[in-house]
Amino acid sequence: MTASFPPSTPAGRGTVHLTSSPSQFRALTYAYPLKLISPDAEVHANRSIHTLFLLTYGGGLVAGDAIDLNITLDAKTFLVLLTQGSTKIFKTPDPQILSIQKATISINDGAGLVYLPDPVQPFAESSFEQSQMYYLNGPQANLCVCDWVCCGRAARGEMWEFWRYGSRNEIWDVSQGEDKKRLLLRDNLILDHKRGVIASASSIARRVDDHGVFGTLILRGPMFEGLGAFFLEEFEKMPRIGEKKWDGEDVPKDKVGSLEDKRRHRLKRGEGDGLLWTAANIRGFVMVKFAAREVEGAKHWLKAILHDEGSIESQFGERSLLCLK
Amino acid sequence: MTTTIQSLEAEIVALEAQLQNAKILLSRSQPPSPLPIAPSTTTVPTNNTTSPSPQPSSTKQTITPSSLHTLLLLADSALPLGSFAFSSGLESFLAHHRTPPAHQPALFARFLTLSLSSLASTSLPYVLAAHRQPGRLTELDNDFDASTLCTVARRASVAQGRALLGVWERSLKGSCISDVDALKLFARAYRAQNSQDAQINAHLAPLWGAVSCALGVDEEQTAYVFLFGHARAVVSAAVRASVLGPYQAQAELASGELRAGIEGLLREWWDVETRDAGQTVPAVDLWVGRHEKLYSRIFNS
Repeated sequence: MTASFPPSTPAGRGTVHLTSSPSQFRALTYAYPLKLISPDAEVHANRSIHTLFLLTYGGGLVAGDAIDLNITLDAKTFLVLLTQGSTKIFKTPDPQILSIQKATISINDGAGLVYLPDPVQPFAESSFEQSQMYYLNGPQANLCVCDWVCCGRAARGEMWEFWRYGSRNEIWDVSQGEDKKRLLLRDNLILDHKRGVIASASSIARRVDDHGVFGTLILRGPMFEGLGAFFLEEFEKMPRIGEKKWDGEDVPKDKVGSLEDKRRHRLKRGEGDGLLWTAANIRGFVMVKFAAREVEGAKHWLKAILHDEGSIESQFGERSLLCLK
Repeated sequence: MTTTIQSLEAEIVALEAQLQNAKILLSRSQPPSPLPIAPSTTTVPTNNTTSPSPQPSSTKQTITPSSLHTLLLLADSALPLGSFAFSSGLESFLAHHRTPPAHQPALFARFLTLSLSSLASTSLPYVLAAHRQPGRLTELDNDFDASTLCTVARRASVAQGRALLGVWERSLKGSCISDVDALKLFARAYRAQNSQDAQINAHLAPLWGAVSCALGVDEEQTAYVFLFGHARAVVSAAVRASVLGPYQAQAELASGELRAGIEGLLREWWDVETRDAGQTVPAVDLWVGRHEKLYSRIFNS
């Protein structure tokens, strides 16, 4: 574990700078309530893979907490960002007092980021806004990030009962210089309990079609090209909605362990979990949107499909899928 | 005598055009507020037969005969944008919510609210920004493209946007009363690019704002017709999908709920910057995205 804790670091601020030669964190600082833990680097496919756990004291954020994380990945550095359990957003005394998490991540050409955290878990009467800003410096900058949110404490019957939840993912091309940056992708989710026409007509549960978890996976760059193509192909191969199902004898006898066999398992399990997903190839990215009745179902599906394709594990190690366990 | 009348008539036409121009310049120089629609004191009316008329505007609205004429053109379902081919996720929504025919009108009402809210939150800031600053059209087109993360939705937006650009070039350009340089430049740049590395897509929302502005339609009417046109297209799709009968469809469009909904959405998104546009109904992305997976389809979205 390497960490300095300079007293000058403002509350919630974290700074991370990963360099390639030598492959190490040149900077790794953080301040309460943010905590960053970096276990030893691993080597996969001849690359040094660093891992960072994003933690908060108490496993979540209370009203007024503000996290501001800055990460720079130099060319040919590789980072896995993880959490330890879902990020809980605690009840706020006033809907106007938010918990905020801001991440600014610069990825240089040839560098790679895998950010597969646990879903955010906003409790009833919480207010939360987060933004993930990615600045890509070149066509070979690699990105695999998942942003997902669940309905709250499902075990206590909470179903999307927070005041506000906002999550913004923006990806900018800065290869022509900061002043000529170009927006490549913007995914901005706005769920507000009270505000707007929709609030008087529809609960948040309705806006997510009564699913218990909703997520977005974004893939980009040569390291995730195969995975992106895999998602698109699996989406294509999914049975059509409303197609007659022939049960019984017609089930093809695929070899155990074959891709067809794995796909059938995923479909069957997904059906039981109320899993719905869609994938699209947009502006050089593969965007996957998914929802399921419960977090477990979504985790299982995501882990299964990433595992069946296999390139995340072979390039970044098994640890990169830790949050999907 | 005749010449005097003719010259007076000509002068009136010229002065009216000048007045329109001045109004546009004025409305652009004081964006983005105030919103002419006064906030409703009541919530959405529940009974459309006794629904109150929409709240009077705080500033007196003037619909001149020439702007009425333009509004009728833009609001006409005969405007050749091909909007009838798109259900904006309705067809997929129905496939995901199998229900007996008797429950379908209620299910449709739920969809229409979600769909309009989603359209307003993702697109209205772009319509308004392009109306207020047509010179930003290329940038707005790029940013809208970057924010439309679904192949099916993208195809629908681009198909109608390109159709609108075509209608503007072939039919409406001559009737523009406002400065159209921005649109001309945009159209030229769009036509000039080769298909390999095309960066201009011609999405509907920003083009709707820019074309309406060029035709002298004010911001509020531009935004209102944009949302109303969406409602009309979705309701029409519902008729063709046998969810609503033709009279039910007209009742839906005439209802106080729809008026109050559109006015409320206008107020809500009037001051919102395009960077803060976003998805308020995430399920729409799933329904629209999964439209491609329907076994049978009668619409393109």
